[in-house]
Amino acid sequence: MNGSDLAPETRTHLIRGCERIVGPEGVISAPDELRVYECDALTFYHRVMPDLVVLPTSTQHVADVVRLCREAGVPFLPRGAGTGLSGGATPDAGGVMIVLTRMNRILDIDVASRTATVEAGFINLWLTNAVKRHGLFYAPDPASQQACSIGGNVAENAGGPHCLKYGVTTNHVLGATVVLPDGEVLQLGGKIQDRPGYDLLGVFVGSEGTLGICTEVTVRLMPQPEAVKTLLAVFRTIEEASNAVSGIIARGIIPVAMEMLDREIIKAVEANVKAGYPLDAGAVLLIELDGPRAEIEAEAVGVEATCREYGCLELRVARTEEERALLWKGRKEAAGSVGRITHHYYLQDAVVPRSKLPTVLREIEEIGGRHGLIIANVFHAGDGNVHPLICFDLATPGDLDRAIAAGAEIMKRCIEAGGSVSGEHGIGHEKRDYLPLMYGPADLAAMQRVRAVFDPAGLCNPGKIFPADGPAGQGARNLQSPAMTAVSER
Amino acid sequence: MPVAASLADGLREIVGADGVFTGPALAEYRLGPATPQAAVFPRDESEVSRLLRLAWEEGLGVVPWGSGGHQSLGYPPSRYDLALNLGRLDRVLEYEPADMTATAQAGIRLADLQRHLEAGRQFLPLDPPLASQATLGGILGGNLSGPLRCRYGTARDLVLGIRVAQADGTITKGGAKVVKNVTGYDITKLYLGSHGTLGVILEATFRVYPRPPAEQEWWLSTPELEAANALAVRILGSHLAPSRVEMLDDAAARACGSPVRGPGLFVSIAGVPEAIRAQANDLARMAGEFGGVATEDAAAPQTRTGLSDFPWLAPWRDGKGHGAIWRGSVLPADCARAIRAIHAAAREHTEVVVAASVAHGILRGEIRADTTEGVARGLAASREALAALGGFLIVLDAPEPVRAQVDVWGPPPDGLGLMQRLKAAFDARGILNPGRFVGQI
Repeated sequence: MNGSDLAPETRTHLIRGCERIVGPEGVISAPDELRVYECDALTFYHRVMPDLVVLPTSTQHVADVVRLCREAGVPFLPRGAGTGLSGGATPDAGGVMIVLTRMNRILDIDVASRTATVEAGFINLWLTNAVKRHGLFYAPDPASQQACSIGGNVAENAGGPHCLKYGVTTNHVLGATVVLPDGEVLQLGGKIQDRPGYDLLGVFVGSEGTLGICTEVTVRLMPQPEAVKTLLAVFRTIEEASNAVSGIIARGIIPVAMEMLDREIIKAVEANVKAGYPLDAGAVLLIELDGPRAEIEAEAVGVEATCREYGCLELRVARTEEERALLWKGRKEAAGSVGRITHHYYLQDAVVPRSKLPTVLREIEEIGGRHGLIIANVFHAGDGNVHPLICFDLATPGDLDRAIAAGAEIMKRCIEAGGSVSGEHGIGHEKRDYLPLMYGPADLAAMQRVRAVFDPAGLCNPGKIFPADGPAGQGARNLQSPAMTAVSER
Repeated sequence: MPVAASLADGLREIVGADGVFTGPALAEYRLGPATPQAAVFPRDESEVSRLLRLAWEEGLGVVPWGSGGHQSLGYPPSRYDLALNLGRLDRVLEYEPADMTATAQAGIRLADLQRHLEAGRQFLPLDPPLASQATLGGILGGNLSGPLRCRYGTARDLVLGIRVAQADGTITKGGAKVVKNVTGYDITKLYLGSHGTLGVILEATFRVYPRPPAEQEWWLSTPELEAANALAVRILGSHLAPSRVEMLDDAAARACGSPVRGPGLFVSIAGVPEAIRAQANDLARMAGEFGGVATEDAAAPQTRTGLSDFPWLAPWRDGKGHGAIWRGSVLPADCARAIRAIHAAAREHTEVVVAASVAHGILRGEIRADTTEGVARGLAASREALAALGGFLIVLDAPEPVRAQVDVWGPPPDGLGLMQRLKAAFDARGILNPGRFVGQI
């Protein structure tokens, strides 16, 4: 659908203006071509076509387009690779979409300082590939890293399996060139660290494209570890596996990743790619250690002892790179395998304190049972970042409503357990009505003040993050509304 | 100026008679030429809220206060009525070792917090200067860090959530108590390092880390600074996992207890003993590549504290002679060049001591001279030298006459307009630490 009420002459004016800025080849305005941009990776989500799409190739282009929009009073939003999972890169109601995929150059690699500066459309995985020969890597590794862009990672403060030890995007971004919503170009942070002043960069990262558009990003690179050790522990129940997660942390061991797959996911994965997971297992825990060789050898002993202490049935240790890849294969293919067990699913992203995992996972299962739905879990256990996949079938009447109701209950329980609404996918459009579960009106008002300072006209990616009825949003009253269909197609 | 009776009464009504200091007791709250009308000691966050509400309504200038150890930073307040001492908000509120997170109030001293975390064999890996006195709120408000930053990052990386009293007394929170969160803006980052100008930090939730089973330290002496810098870059880009990589000029090395003459590195490595041994061999080999020699440090705990406190314990700060301490940044590979440039630029009139946390290119140093003019000239020359390398310098402490000649924050930062608008949005009446931060925010 086209949600915009833009007057035809305004649209024509914008198309002409954008063509002047980026050239005709960088402007998309034909409806059939715009359809590609009507949603991000939340494909079942409400689809809204932008009025036009602009593909700039420089910061100056972005600034000029933003200024043009501002003068016309038309909303605009940035988009990277469109792999986001919260509807953040879907227009709220038309407007101009600024797509940064053509801005994909490396601008600087500084091996001595261990930094790289790239344009916002540069792909996450390319970065690690580009610096490999210097013995370096870029740590945040979202599941979509082969496709997602660094600019999008900055917008969503993206995470990934390896963030347990190394932290998320905000911990690795040193600087950004941003186009503010009034068209001003501003350098936030940079290779030189700790400049005095407010941490504008810190609040910009994770602001989901609502405080401006970043066009260039400077990131910290990490030295490759001396050694990596990957273990797969098989458990009878997900509870035992969760206890093992807490036990490993309690021993003072911080693996680089601790990923959990439950029975449903194991079934799906085995049906799809044959990763060699035992079908009778309640859960498998994939644990990766990295660092100085002697350090991880010692840690591996602790991990093995903990897993056995919590009743692990089987423990596999990868001895070669091929074996490591095989252990990871099931995890990497998990999302893609879910189609083997369900037609549709609704994916959540809440985070709970690690010590609450066993309780919360049991409750998730109960909630699923009560609604007659299967809920599969594949998630970043070490971070407490649960990713329940609520399985349903759109063709079954009432199934979608049940999935949404179950999702709301799960979210409530996670927040009550001391958790947060989203660990790495962002709030976007999809989760905005959940925000009042976590933040009161005064908390949201403080955030809105920040927004108003950056974007007084409210034109930069409007309709995202904040509850639809403003910061005074009254609790969870929207949660039962089927308008909130955060649904992913397999 | 004697405190207005009605104000003192109003304050006592909120915090009790023993929670208000006036008169001579205020000497320790003096900031430059300014002395407050009162120092207040709230017992809980609702008292903080009511105090701020009063200040908001009366238009009183409020300076949040922890141990006061770092209050020398910044301009003097443009209005200063209340020192808001948070020392009685000193509790650990939540600590769950299995979550590796803890929540504590702002007034707790870091040393007391660390003792508390010892129960879970964990710690908060921040080692700012004057850590034995420093409070959590002060460390976060100043985003203070020390050599350990090399391995663990700064408060920015460690703090997960925050509770803040806004200028009008409203209490708000940001972030969460879990290790991963993208729910709304990461507003916590705004308060960290904002020097109390956007809100009063009441409590924070942060990551804690396991205490490493063992730790070992070395002095790596090198023929000259450039070799030390290259060696540091080599170590930091390698598979070694050091906790600290500090580069010191000759004088700083001596001041921090190096057993050998000349410039060099101080490196510490923590972990299991086997891993430390293996890395020690690699470290010695790498030092050899740059003509350096590794000597194990015999006085490790004192050295670590000395490095964190450098140059805060400079003798002129007790009134002996004229001097200044400063902090600055350049690129990691430019640290030696920066130190040389500072020596060359400032040496004419002054004595200069410099250390660098190479991993992040953070420099800190001291300047001494016979006159305050000499100190001011030395600071200006050092600032120019760092600016030529793309860096900057801020003055951490200097006597009044030096401050009169040198802008402690230096040139206004990029984005000052946005910062001013943020300040106006968060503190429309300008009561929180007014005038002290960059651009006299």
